[in-house]
Amino acid sequence: MSKYSINQTVLREEKCLVEALKEMGYEVEVHPEGAPLNSYYAEQEAKIANIIIRRQHLRAAYGDIGFTRQPDGQFAMVKDELDGYRGYGARWLGRVQQLYKEKQTLAMAKAKGYTLKCREVIETAQGEQVRLQFAVRR
Amino acid sequence: MHEKTITIIIDENGSSTLDLEGFTGQGCEKVFDDFRGGDVVKLERKKPAYYTAHVTQQEKSQR
Repeated sequence: MSKYSINQTVLREEKCLVEALKEMGYEVEVHPEGAPLNSYYAEQEAKIANIIIRRQHLRAAYGDIGFTRQPDGQFAMVKDELDGYRGYGARWLGRVQQLYKEKQTLAMAKAKGYTLKCREVIETAQGEQVRLQFAVRR
Repeated sequence: MHEKTITIIIDENGSSTLDLEGFTGQGCEKVFDDFRGGDVVKLERKKPAYYTAHVTQQEKSQR
C-alpha cells in the first residue's frame, strides 16, 4: 500500500523556524521566556513573543514581527495589523512556512536515516515550489 | 531490492504534498508519520498495490 496526502505546515520546532527566518535575511532574537514586541502606536497593548524580528530589520514595517509559542506547542505569528498590507501578510508567512518545512524535513530525514535523492526548485505561475525526493532501502 | 521512494513538494503557501511509492504494510504508516511531522492533514488517499499494478498493466497494453 502506498499513500498520498496534502498537508498544511505547522510551525513547532524553534530551531527550524529561526533558521528559516535567518535564511530570509533577518536578524532574529530568541526569548524562551518571551519579550515584548514594539508596535507603531505606543498606546497599543504590548504583545509578547518568543522569536522576534525587530522592525529596523524589516523593510517598511510599522512594528516588530514575532512568533509566540501557544499552549499546544505551535508557534503563531504576531504582528501589527497594518504590516499585513506592507508585505508581511499571508504570502510572507507562506514563504516562512515553506523554508521551515524544508529544513524540518531535511533534519528529520537525516536523523532517521532517509537518503536525499534529489532536490529541485520548480517555478510555477504561483511561485517557487521545492521538491525533495528520498529513497529508502529497508 | 525494490526501492521505496518518498516525494515531498512544498509550495509557496507552506502546504506540502507527500507521495509514498513502493511501500507495503505498516512501514507505510511509519514513514508517513515521520514525514508529516505534526502537520495538519488536509487530504489523504491510500494507493492500493492493485491500483498501481492495474495502471501499469494498462500502460503496457497501450504501448
